[in-house]
Order: sequence, then C-alpha cells, then structure tokens
Amino acid sequence: MTTLRQRLAGGRTTGLLAAVVPTLFVVLAFVVPLAGLLVLSFRPTDAFNLPLDGFTLTQYAQVFTTPYLYDSLLESLSLALRVSLTCLVLGFPIAWYLARTPTGWRKTIVFTITLSPLLTSEVVRSFGWRVVTSGEGPVNRGLQALGLIETSLPLLRSPWTVFLAVVHVLLPFAIIALTASLKTIDDAVLRASADLGASGLRTFRSVVLPLSTPGLVAGAVIVFSLTMGIYVTPLLVGGANQPLAGLRVQNEALVTFNQPRAAALSFVLLLLTLTVVAIVTALSRLADRSNRA
Amino acid sequence: MPESTAVATRAASPSPDQSRARSRAHTRARLRRVGAALPVVLVCVFLVLPLLVVAISSFADRNSFAFPPSGLSLRWYGEVFSSDAWLGALAASGRLLLVVVPIVVVLGVLGGYAVGAGRFPGRQALSLLFLAPIMVPGVMLGLALLHQMQGLGLVGSSAGLILAHLVVTLPFAIRVISVSAASLDPRLVRAAQSLGASPLRAFLTVTVPLLRPGIVAAGFLAAVISLGEVAVSVFVAGARSATAPVLIYSAVQVQMEPTIAAISTLMLLASVVVIAVLDRTVRISRFL
Repeated sequence: MTTLRQRLAGGRTTGLLAAVVPTLFVVLAFVVPLAGLLVLSFRPTDAFNLPLDGFTLTQYAQVFTTPYLYDSLLESLSLALRVSLTCLVLGFPIAWYLARTPTGWRKTIVFTITLSPLLTSEVVRSFGWRVVTSGEGPVNRGLQALGLIETSLPLLRSPWTVFLAVVHVLLPFAIIALTASLKTIDDAVLRASADLGASGLRTFRSVVLPLSTPGLVAGAVIVFSLTMGIYVTPLLVGGANQPLAGLRVQNEALVTFNQPRAAALSFVLLLLTLTVVAIVTALSRLADRSNRA
Repeated sequence: MPESTAVATRAASPSPDQSRARSRAHTRARLRRVGAALPVVLVCVFLVLPLLVVAISSFADRNSFAFPPSGLSLRWYGEVFSSDAWLGALAASGRLLLVVVPIVVVLGVLGGYAVGAGRFPGRQALSLLFLAPIMVPGVMLGLALLHQMQGLGLVGSSAGLILAHLVVTLPFAIRVISVSAASLDPRLVRAAQSLGASPLRAFLTVTVPLLRPGIVAAGFLAAVISLGEVAVSVFVAGARSATAPVLIYSAVQVQMEPTIAAISTLMLLASVVVIAVLDRTVRISRFL
C-alpha cells in the first residue's frame, strides 16, 4: 500500500490533479457549446428561421443542394490549396534564414517582421490591404506614376487581393512550422552532399526537401485549416459577396439569422477540412516510409 | 579539406590571370549571397508593406487615403483620444486583458504542466483536447458560443467575451508552458519533497518558478492574441463591450477614415514592441 503522499510524489498524481481544472474548463467552454451547435444543425426552422424542436436533415440537404452554399465550400477549398502552396514557397527562404543564422540584430529584425503580422490584429492587416489597394493607394498611384495605367484599377473587390491578403495573414504560421523543421537539418549532411559534388539545386532537391517534409506538411496543414474557416479578411478586403464558406457561415448566422443552417454549413466545412488534413498526413507518412526503405 | 587548401594556394600565387579569376570568384560569391538574401528581403517587404502604409496614412493631414499623403499631421491621433467610442473600446480591450491574462496563465500552468510533465495514461488524448480549439474555425467557435450564451442569457455581456477570449488563448498558453514543463528535472521536485515540502508547496515554490520563462511567454502571447482577437468576439460582443478590433471591424465596413489608421498604428506599435522585447528577453522563438 502506498500512502497518498508517496503517490503524489510520483508526479503521476500531481499531473492528473493539475489537469482537472483546465479539462473542466475546456469541456464546459468548448466541447459543450460545440455539441450544442451539432444539435442545432439537426433542428428544423420556422418561417422566421428560428430553430424548432425536432430532428431533421433538411439543413444538411440544403447545404448540398444550394449552389450558394456548396459552391462556397469548393471555393474555400480552392483558395486554401492555393494559399497553402504560396505560403510554403514564400515562407521557405525566410524559415531557412531564421533556422540557419546565429542570433543577432539582423535576425531579430527578420523575426520581428515575420511575427508582427501574426501578432497584429487581423482587422489591422486587412485594413492595411484596403488602404494599399484603394483607388488612390500606393499600388494604383505607383502604376499611374509609371504610366502603366491611366485610371485606377478596381483592386479592392478583386479575388486576387483577397488571395494576397489571406497569404499575408497566414504566412507567419507557415514560417514558424518550417523554421522548427529546418532547424533539425544537420549542417554535416549539407556539406557531405556538396563534397560529393552535388550542385546547390541537386542538394536542395534530394537532401533539403526530403528532410524538411515534416515542416512542409505541418505548415501546409495549419495554413490550409486556417484558410478554410477564414472570414474576417475576405469580408473586410473583398466585401460580403466573396463566395467563401467561412463568410457564408457568418452571413447565415449574423445577417439571415438562420443559425441551424449556419451550424450545418460549419460542420460540413470542419469535416471537409479534417478530411483533407487526414489525407495529407497519411500521404506524407507513406512518402516518409518509402523514403526510408 | 586538402582540395580547398590546394585551390587557395593556387589562387594566392600572384599572376594577373589568376587574380582576375579570383575577383570573378569573389563577385560570384557575392552574387550568390545577394541571391540568397533577396527572397528574404522581398518577403519581408511583402509582410511589412501594408502595415507600413497604415502607419504612414495615420499621419495624413486630410481625410483621404491618397498615397503618399499631401501633408503630415497628428489630428487623427487627437481624434482617437477625444472620441468616446474609441476610448471606450480601448478601455474595454484593456479591461478584458486584465481579466483574461491572469486566468489563462493559471489555467495554462495547470494544463501545460499536466501535458508536459505529467506521466499518466491518456496524456496524449488530453493534449489533443487542449489544442482542439485551434483546429476549429473562429466563425464556428463564435457561433457555438453565441448559441450557448443565448440559452444562458449572456449575449453581449462581458462574461461572454471573457469566456470567448479564454477559449481562444488557452491552447496557445498550454502549448507554450508545456514546452517549458517537458524540460523540467523531476529530481528537483523530489529533492524539495524529501526536504519536507508538501506536494502543493513543492509545486508552488519549485515547479512554478522553473516554468517562469514559459509563463511569461504565455502571458504575453495571450495578451497579444486577446488584444487582436476579432473572429470570435464579433459573435459574442455587445454594443457596450465591443473591443478595439471589433470596433475597427465595424468601422471599416461602414466608412474608411484615417482615425482607423491611427488606432491601428497604436495597436501595431504595441505588438512590435512586445515581440522585439520578448525575443530579446525570453527568446520566445524557442516556444513556437
């Protein structure tokens, strides 16, 4: 028989005791509301879109038969794939620099620049893109000064501006994931590759890229997931008509006040996101295994 | 490396032909260095550009976003500090911060310790549960909390907003503190207990001080996230409890004004200072 005191000293019970309060909090403040939302998504609605008691699959049927809703899922999927790829390509050089440079003021500057968008409110960054792409903003003024255009381009409502703004908002996440993974690549491996006569490009393709797969996958997964649900940036930069799922959820919930339909759409969105993430993770495991074999 | 030494010796011998070859190699090395730095600089410019433009526009002298501004003034900052709405929103953000950060740090220490240093079955599952709120889109979390609070009559209350910010910041706090907790030396706690400290006393006087860098980083991270949070807040904030980002969110949709640029610049400045200080003091980059 061990006494309570001895068991506490084992660290096992202390850990469990410490877990009680945060677990209760997460269950009450996160799991319960999410479960409530799931129940809501199966509720029928009355003429004023208010939820009634009962069980129905109407909301989900609506999501899959209304182009306004299912198109937004496809559009979000396409945007998320483009944004993830772009963030990996743009993030790689920065991550390489951050992972391979000794500490110093230059690195602090790059680090601060990299993280400042992440820690700056999404509304501030979106507002920035509105100013940049406005009729008299720097882009239009610059192009006019160069004589490339005569009248201002309507950049503000364009899907390309939305794409660029979303990349800007999420790039720091890709950089963080990539940096963590690039830090683990041993310098000796790179030297070995160069000593064996491989060109820089060859070393990159057959040494650096395979070794950074975990970071690439982690970065892609987080950027993809975040893009799938994004709504503040597209709303502020592109307006309420951008055909994205997150924005449609917000619109159904806060403008049309059809909360059950918003709930159903958000669960389909979450499921779609998790499915793609699961497929990407499984594929990368497979590739990793065949690399090792 | 005998080969490279040989190259160096050959290159060192004086001959006009070889010195030209050397200077060419030198130029090539410099080109390569510039080529490697160029993408870094370009991406940094891309990241900074919109924020810089906001900062510059906030000093415009006229009510326009023409770039560059025709003249400079501080009138939009004066406007912010004389407007009840903006001051109220800033105060709401500040009050929220004072409540959210201490609570999230306590919850984060407990959760981060359990996940990082605890040894019990189901620890992985618990860690997944703690991080799960990150995987759920803000719009969905906001809707779920809104629906829940409608049932409890908490919509628009500050309690609702506090709850929302706790849910959003807790995963980050737990993640950061668990990294610190994973590197704890269990022998220190055992030493404290063999000297007669109770488990609670050992936790408070040994474990918590050892977790301090993680706790500081988690507190700052939670503060900055709470200051900027908008996706979830929009759903649960009422007219009276609207935070600064929520007010910017509605103001931008109604009308573009340089006042928004001024308040954005103030918030921007706060986060830049926080990150630079954090990286220099507790090296927050370790935890991310």
